Amino acid sequence: MKNNFAAWFSILISPLMQISAWFRTALCALLLLATVHPQVHAQSPLDKTITININNEPLKQALDKITAASGVRFTYNETVAKSDVKLSINAQNQPLGNILKKALAPYPFTFTVLDQDIMIKYDAAKLKKQTATPTGGKFTISGTIKSAQSGETIIGASIKATDANQGTSSNEYGFYSLTLPAGDHELAVSAIGQKTTLVTVSLTASQRLNIAMDNNEQALQEVTITAKAAGTRDLASPQMGVEHLSIQETKNIPVLLGERDVIKTIQLLPGIKSAGEGSGGFYVRGGASDQNLILLDEAPVYNASHLLGFFSTFNSDAIKNISIYKGDMPAQYGGRLSSVLDIKMNDGNNQKFGVSGGVGLIAARINVEGPIQKNKSSFLISARRTYADAFLAFSKDSIAKKSQLYFYDINAKANYILGDKDRLFLSGYFGKDVLKAGDIAGINWGNTTGTLRWNHIFNSQLFSNTSLIYSNYDYKINIKEDVNEFNIFSQIKDLNLKEDLQYYAGDKNTISFGFNGVYHTIKPGEISSTGNSGIQSQNLQNRYALEDAVYATNTWKATDRFSLTYGLRLSAFTILGQGDYYSLDADGNITDTKHYTSGQVVKTYVNPEPRIAAAYSLNEYSSVKASYARNAQNLHLISNSNSGSPTDKWVASTNLIKPEIADQLSVGYYRDFKDHQYEFTFETYYKKLQNQVDYRNGANVFTNQPIETQLLYGKGRAYGAEFLLKKKTGRLTGWISYTLSKTERKIDGINNNEWYNARQDRTHDIAVVAMFKATEKWTLSANFVYYTGDAVTFPNGKYQVDGATYYYYTNRNADRMPAYNRLDLGATRQLKKSSKFESDLTFSLYNALGNHNAYRIFFRDNKNDPSRTEAVRTTLFTFVPSITYNFKF
Amino acid sequence: MHSTIKYMIPALFAAALSSCEKAINLKLTDATPKYVIEGVLTNQSGGCKVSLSQTKNFTDNNDVIGVDGAQVSITDDNVVYPLTPTSTGVYQNTTLKGAYGHIYKLSVTVAGKTFTSTCAMPAAVALDSIYLVKSDFGNNKDGTIRKFVTVKYHDPAATKNYYRFVQYVNNRKEESILLDNDEFTNGQEVNTRLNFNNSNDDPTRDIRPGNQVIIEMQCIDPAVYKYFFSLTTGATGDGNNAAPANPLSNITGGALGYFSVHTVQRKTLTAP
Repeated sequence: MKNNFAAWFSILISPLMQISAWFRTALCALLLLATVHPQVHAQSPLDKTITININNEPLKQALDKITAASGVRFTYNETVAKSDVKLSINAQNQPLGNILKKALAPYPFTFTVLDQDIMIKYDAAKLKKQTATPTGGKFTISGTIKSAQSGETIIGASIKATDANQGTSSNEYGFYSLTLPAGDHELAVSAIGQKTTLVTVSLTASQRLNIAMDNNEQALQEVTITAKAAGTRDLASPQMGVEHLSIQETKNIPVLLGERDVIKTIQLLPGIKSAGEGSGGFYVRGGASDQNLILLDEAPVYNASHLLGFFSTFNSDAIKNISIYKGDMPAQYGGRLSSVLDIKMNDGNNQKFGVSGGVGLIAARINVEGPIQKNKSSFLISARRTYADAFLAFSKDSIAKKSQLYFYDINAKANYILGDKDRLFLSGYFGKDVLKAGDIAGINWGNTTGTLRWNHIFNSQLFSNTSLIYSNYDYKINIKEDVNEFNIFSQIKDLNLKEDLQYYAGDKNTISFGFNGVYHTIKPGEISSTGNSGIQSQNLQNRYALEDAVYATNTWKATDRFSLTYGLRLSAFTILGQGDYYSLDADGNITDTKHYTSGQVVKTYVNPEPRIAAAYSLNEYSSVKASYARNAQNLHLISNSNSGSPTDKWVASTNLIKPEIADQLSVGYYRDFKDHQYEFTFETYYKKLQNQVDYRNGANVFTNQPIETQLLYGKGRAYGAEFLLKKKTGRLTGWISYTLSKTERKIDGINNNEWYNARQDRTHDIAVVAMFKATEKWTLSANFVYYTGDAVTFPNGKYQVDGATYYYYTNRNADRMPAYNRLDLGATRQLKKSSKFESDLTFSLYNALGNHNAYRIFFRDNKNDPSRTEAVRTTLFTFVPSITYNFKF
Repeated sequence: MHSTIKYMIPALFAAALSSCEKAINLKLTDATPKYVIEGVLTNQSGGCKVSLSQTKNFTDNNDVIGVDGAQVSITDDNVVYPLTPTSTGVYQNTTLKGAYGHIYKLSVTVAGKTFTSTCAMPAAVALDSIYLVKSDFGNNKDGTIRKFVTVKYHDPAATKNYYRFVQYVNNRKEESILLDNDEFTNGQEVNTRLNFNNSNDDPTRDIRPGNQVIIEMQCIDPAVYKYFFSLTTGATGDGNNAAPANPLSNITGGALGYFSVHTVQRKTLTAP
């Protein structure tokens, strides 16, 4: 197995290595041109010159005196603090570094610079080292990082050797691998919501080390590390355009009707725009909402919204971590142009059984988790259901009385640790929306996903994950009309096999590679009809396709300052029979039909997708990065409604519908302030889109004609600048984000073939998010959003046809909706907090200024004076209060 | 079924949301006026009529201002039938009747511009009967039972057929464009309910006991169907379409409107 592996791997990698040399040269040259050489360094605390006299004083007191004299702070752990070593120093205008070196020389302590502080560490090996011969060589330490309280693996934890400039972070399964020189090291492990942990290791061979971290809440004060705040953006990593959020960070942000929602939270980040009032849809860097790949435990979710888009399908209780990549996706992801939203579910507590939940105005939630076998296996079940429709029963309207309007979803997961090297995960999601008007009409829709994963650690350097994924989205419409009954069923279904490997090749290279094969089945529509309407039951032809990809990418840490990630994803989309495929004329009329038999290949589209990113650290506090990525997309969502509808069609590429392609180039500058308390990010991008799909004017959505007859094709471009200033620590946390952008389309047959603004072209987009821990019991929060109105088409005149008013239009999307602004307020009151039971009350007020934001604007004859026309604005939400009770035991 | 889906989804949306509507002042850009042509030729005498008008600014009133002084003619197999003005902006030929299979060419010349269109007369399909059914959607604004007309006809299997229905309630013409085609019903006996949306709650549009209801069935050309379909989906100003657009006209030369050569037959009932 291993041998096969290596052979396969080298076949995959070798061409990549050849081009890598070129990439390195080209990118280095580019970076040299693009960056101003930074020669201004912050003065190291070791360079400070001081004059001091210390006579045989205990270590801690001596250090305090130095701090008083120099202003330089020290950090150390208990061992240092309680040490009985006594120091004597007599220095005149000497650099602090020299003083410490001399003073600590006879003792088992070492020191390193940690930002602007100096860290003193106990180093038992120091005495030994001075006598023993250095072993030399490098070894790898690897393992899994998890929470001591829940056993949950921790994603994105930072592991840093405090004595060497070496570090890594845990992958999406909590695995890490770090190659260090032989000898003794101290590892500082930090993660959001966790107490920073120090581990001492003595490396004489490669070894496994699993690390359990304590929750922050139980943090003991004996260790004071003033390293970067956990979760701070990785300045040195070449990855750009990414935001990671742990679910705790989103907990206090006020939301509509009290339903915490990760998608609403990411809409507050720069470059990510809401698809409209209260909408769960979003646009990333000018992309359409179908150009976002939304993954839940690796399974794609085709319709990520509930209840006409007001809620996302992701129940926050079940979620561990989310990452969004704004177009600069690592090569392991593919298939969508604009972004990847990667959502990871909790694994389930394998230490103790627990129940948590909440009751809000419109929905109730419950989450149950616990060990199946302690330390070995665990499960999690999380469910919620809305009950807004209970109020309909009080309606006077007889139809409303019998109507239904609700959704539910269930997340379930189990995992089993098979041994030191293997772990299995089984996760599933089931969600359903039901919308029913009396007995007359109903629609229900929902996603089902399932993922079976197997983590295997081949050795300390090679980590593998194999996933078998199922995803299904379908909707059913039922309509009763007089004696007639109609049913429409439509579905998209995926079977997916995925293999991802990470090879930690020494301290300079991390290689990821793998493959992915997806079999898509799309059922555009099954129509069944009974009654006298004459409508004949029929099935539109299913569409079948195989979407394959192989990828390999390497992150090369060229120097302490410069890192480069280069890789290639090669995707192939094969359209398979059975089915008819067509040739069309310019007006969309069918000129030729060709039938393909089952399994016959209609066409294969192959797209090489290079992904390159580079980072250059200017100093400890700032870096610049540049990135280029190409993405191809073969599944297209065709929609002509304003607000996304569950019946929008997913269509695979055909002989006529070409793969959409996006090339994005971005450059960014990153800087931390005030001991990493604040982080500032500036990114700018240019994106070019090819083979964009849109409906023809006057397209018929409900047709049994081939969908291509209703479509037009063209290109797009988007560019912008994004600013983010974030405060991650302290009583007040939050961020300010601002996006300045432009998004345009040019489609043959629309707007006289000229460029026009895409609907989501919003020039300015500002979000301010603030959370303030006022007292032990109260947390207050607020967010404010302002953005330029969508680009829309308003009438430029009117006329009468057959006695009714119609409107005359000239240019596509040349007008603007009124600018949008909204302030939301929130407050959380901790009710009870003990290790056995916790509860809180969350209050929120959505649109607290009561601004009448336009959900849509329409035009009609004035009801009172039919000889006039009027523009009418629809507003959905003003002053929406909510209260939610949450508990945990 | 199409119209049901079209009305149902927004109706459900509207019911689901406690939305608030308010008339607002919007600054709309005025475009230079465009000609609007409504050309009709039926298989009945007196059914040849062309109306010529222009677009108006949004803030103007809704009155149609006819355009006089145009040269209007319809040509059938090289025979030119002139249409003469009968009132402001209305041009007619009292003798011309459309015949099955003939292809007619409309020509309108006004202020130095010429607009043309061709349209063929489709075969007539018999309207077998019309009857009233109670709405499942709800009641009229005043609480009385809402009723819709259902039309019954037999669609011929050999051809693609397109239909338009015009409803008159006590001789008041319903503004809703009521269309049907045989995409899903080819060769079948068809019962189609004419769902119309009384968007301004005008009681004279509703069908009430004692009202006389006339249904006019028109067999129309595919291009005319496309025109009316795109008119109702793209140009009503209803705000549901993400990309409102002018309808696909069968008139060349840059005018709005249509030229329809169609059959006409009527049935009448009195609402019980």
